[in-house]
Amino acid sequence: MLEITGLTRRFGSVTAVDDVTLAVPNGQMVGIIGRSGAGKSTLLRLINRLIDPSAGRLVFEGRDVGALTGRALRDWRTDCAMIFQQFNLVQRLDVLTNVLVGRLNHRSTLSSLFKLFSAEERALAIRTLDRFDLAEAALQRADTLSGGQQQRVAIARALMQEPRIILADEPIASLDPRNGKVVMDALRRINREDGLTVLCNLHTLDTARQYCDRIVGMRAGRVVFDGVPAQLTAAMVRDIYGMSEEELDQAETVTSTAIEAAPSRMAA
Amino acid sequence: MIGAADLAAIREAHPRVFRRSTAERRRLALIWTVFLAVLALGLWRVLPGWDVFVAGLGKLGFLVRFMIPPAHGGHLDQMLHGLAETLAMAFMGTLLAAFAALPLGFLGARNVLPVRLFHFGLRRLFDGLRGIDSLIWAIVFVAAVGMGPFAGILALAVPDTGTLAKLFAEAIENVEKRQVEGIEAAGANGVERARFGILPQVLPVMLSHVLYFFESNTRSATILGVVGAGGIGLQLAERIRLDDWQEVAFIILLILVAVAVIDWISGRLRRRIIAA
Amino acid sequence: MAIAVAGGGDAVALFETRHRDLRRRKALTTGLGALLFALAFGASAIVGEVDPGRFAAGVPNILDYVHRTLPEISARQPLTDIGEWYWAIDIWLLLMLDTVLMGFVGTLAGTAVALLFCFHAAANLAPTRWSFWLARRGFEFARTVPELVFALIFVFAFGPGPFAGVLAIAIHSAGALGKLFAEVNENADPRPIDALAAAGAGWTETMRFAVLPQVLPNFLSYGLLRFEINVRAASVLGIVGAGGIGEELYLVVRRFLYSDISAIVLLILITVSLIDMGCERLRHGLIEAGPARATR
Ligand SMILES: Nc1ncnc2c1ncn2[C@@H]1O[C@H](COP(=O)(O)OP(=O)(O)O)[C@@H](O)[C@H]1O
Ligand SMILES: [Mg+2]
Repeated sequence: MLEITGLTRRFGSVTAVDDVTLAVPNGQMVGIIGRSGAGKSTLLRLINRLIDPSAGRLVFEGRDVGALTGRALRDWRTDCAMIFQQFNLVQRLDVLTNVLVGRLNHRSTLSSLFKLFSAEERALAIRTLDRFDLAEAALQRADTLSGGQQQRVAIARALMQEPRIILADEPIASLDPRNGKVVMDALRRINREDGLTVLCNLHTLDTARQYCDRIVGMRAGRVVFDGVPAQLTAAMVRDIYGMSEEELDQAETVTSTAIEAAPSRMAA
Repeated sequence: MIGAADLAAIREAHPRVFRRSTAERRRLALIWTVFLAVLALGLWRVLPGWDVFVAGLGKLGFLVRFMIPPAHGGHLDQMLHGLAETLAMAFMGTLLAAFAALPLGFLGARNVLPVRLFHFGLRRLFDGLRGIDSLIWAIVFVAAVGMGPFAGILALAVPDTGTLAKLFAEAIENVEKRQVEGIEAAGANGVERARFGILPQVLPVMLSHVLYFFESNTRSATILGVVGAGGIGLQLAERIRLDDWQEVAFIILLILVAVAVIDWISGRLRRRIIAA
Repeated sequence: MAIAVAGGGDAVALFETRHRDLRRRKALTTGLGALLFALAFGASAIVGEVDPGRFAAGVPNILDYVHRTLPEISARQPLTDIGEWYWAIDIWLLLMLDTVLMGFVGTLAGTAVALLFCFHAAANLAPTRWSFWLARRGFEFARTVPELVFALIFVFAFGPGPFAGVLAIAIHSAGALGKLFAEVNENADPRPIDALAAAGAGWTETMRFAVLPQVLPNFLSYGLLRFEINVRAASVLGIVGAGGIGEELYLVVRRFLYSDISAIVLLILITVSLIDMGCERLRHGLIEAGPARATR
């Protein structure tokens, strides 16, 4: 059980996450929706402790994880793996090493520095990659893969951490619909097969409805909706997004092309 | 986490994941062997005996202790004069090199004078000039024009002429052709073409190079005194010979400050030139 | 025309005053610049003892000096003459080899130090403020003090010989490379760094796996460039007793062994060019294999 109580984070005068209280039982698949800037990414980064909270408590299985430092903090981060919109792989390394990177906190720094991963770890990496049909690509460089493949490598990396929770920040926003489906299926599988809690920021409503047990709607840093997909009525959608679902769909086409344009701009 | 049988099966299916291919292993072994052999040879040639090393470390510790606090020992005017000489050498040396390199750069550019053999010869001359360190030139010029900063100026100017001429020639070769053609169409002769068609385009680049060389010459000029070519280097070398470490430290500090100031000024100027 | 002037009189007047102001300011800057330049020129000429007369008198000396160093190679027996010119080729080659090795070991040591601290010296990666400050200042110091100054001090401490030269080269290279490496680090893609931190990797491991793979090709390229520079530097450090061919060169200069001077200088030139060419090929190989694809 992950218990979030009154979690708040301010950036200067902006309150990105405002007094959020949630209780997530183990094994649940939660979709977090809301307009861009609603505080979804900040919430996930707060949970992973990439960002420190300004106020509030964060408790996992009775362990207060909001105040950890050093070794204990790294252990907590290992327990809640992150998946990013841009995959965040090390482009110049091969897929295998990218996946093995998930083991770093499980081993001594010295042997890691020389890249001395054991045969068991390599085998585990291959087996994990194989779950997503990527074992054959193990020795290819990450930058030779397609976006969908890269995101699945990122999921394999997350699994190598042997985490309890997966935090996925817009995992399919940079992918085309077909690859988006493959990646969402993969997340759904690890939720069902491995019993991992999945917290997933999503920018498309129907994906959230289709894949998630529970949907959390955020607006301006606050949780304004928390329920099962069936409870997400047209009125609720209007409340979360400030527009109706049809208007949202239209805006969505604009947004998704904008998102596709973003990485190419970075590459240039 | 993974059973022995599974491990064996995965190993079987993906041998390369566990062990590099023979060819790659050989290649890596070769590279490392050559590298380590050269390193071993190098260490064998350069490392001193253990006792020399330990004694040297001790001496180094002593002399660092003796450096504190840095003091000018009443020779401040002498040191400042040395520093002024250093700056003057850097300034004049760079200026001289820039003026010498300007015509040479034009002559060395393929698009100005398209004569292959001439161009090739000139470029090799540039390489020759810059291939010899200014300290060696300083030795030559001290022998030719006597000790003092003048020899230092010439010693800085000669190799820089080579490098700057090369850089200038490259800048000129990269000019935008249309502007030059415009000037040609207006009926300009060769010199006019260079003056009005090319120079305005390359001047900012050239100035920026020259300023950069001024910075680096300030550093070089601090040491030419060691062979008698003027500047603060002579005093530094003398103080070291005389075991006067407080003053050595003071001179090093002077050098650091002077270099930092020159870097700062020149950096600002360069940014302005590039922005304009 | 008249209408336009009548209609836009104010605008024209405004434009005119603005224009005049701008021109005046520009003239002032130019004038001030010219004045400063003239002052610097005058002062430098006096302090630098610039003396065209002495230079004119010196030119024949220079030419004479250079002329004397040139070897006599007759068309009748060129090989014998060249053999005579390079009469001590065995000694010189060994010294030249030492010089190259000094450059090699010094570059390697300097690169190692730079590699160790360049992550601390990058604003986006430094784990603590004080280590950032310390690394920055350390690199700055090491690169600003000229090699020859370090060499003088080390010759005093360790006695004459290549070790002093290697140390001097190593320290200076550490400073120069450290700064360049830190700049490369600051341009590294932050996304993998985020990912590794989020996976619970420590700082050292994050540098090793998220940053190093991105920056290594650039580091190698800079290291090779530094090696070229350092072989040149090593060839003159001998002048202050820090080993290598420079010592021999200074010796023959002071003993006025003219043809030996040209022989050694030519040997240095050839060696340096060969190393430059070799390194350039390696660098091109690196650039083609690496950053072109890695910059994403
Ligand atoms: N590092 C930061 N510094 C300052 N402001 C930030 C930072 N990260 C997020 N914010 C602000 O916090 C708000 C929420 O951002 P974010 O969590 O990225 O929203 P979402 O992921 O829902 O689009 C935004 O207004 C954003 O500008
Ligand atoms: Mg976001």
